Amino acid sequence: MDSSSLNSPELMNFINEEKQRAMVAEMVAKLTSVCWDKCITGTPGSKFSSSESNCLSNCAQRYMDMSIIIMKRFQNS
Amino acid sequence: MDSFSSPSSGSSPQFSANEFRDQLKTQLAQAYAEEFLETLRVKCFDKCITKPGSSLSGSESSCISRCMERYIEATSIVSRALFKTPH
Repeated sequence: MDSSSLNSPELMNFINEEKQRAMVAEMVAKLTSVCWDKCITGTPGSKFSSSESNCLSNCAQRYMDMSIIIMKRFQNS
Repeated sequence: MDSFSSPSSGSSPQFSANEFRDQLKTQLAQAYAEEFLETLRVKCFDKCITKPGSSLSGSESSCISRCMERYIEATSIVSRALFKTPH
């Protein structure tokens, strides 16, 4: 591949988009893993109970709240 | 290692940005899928194979299929929770 095509703005855009996409995917995967361990304590049933699905959704949102607190703590010091 | 070399005939190592992009997309999709499968294995083994016996029991294998379905559902619940307008 000639190096000029690697420098095309189009390709840089594509790579940046994929970077963003990877960050989002990684965050979703991480939170799913953490919240699964916290919320799904028994053997998985054929559907989630409402308390399980509420727990998953709350867990994900509280994790984000916590991340913001941690970030602020280090920005203000 | 030349996974980025030209897919066609290999006569020339040069190829276009588009081809590069398509290959990158394919490889990323493969990497995402493999990582997700690995997570399923870890999570569902943990939940369903609590005492490994001499063979996989019927209840263990039905637990595994329920576990996979629930984990996929959990992934979509989590991503909905993250991207809906806050509170």
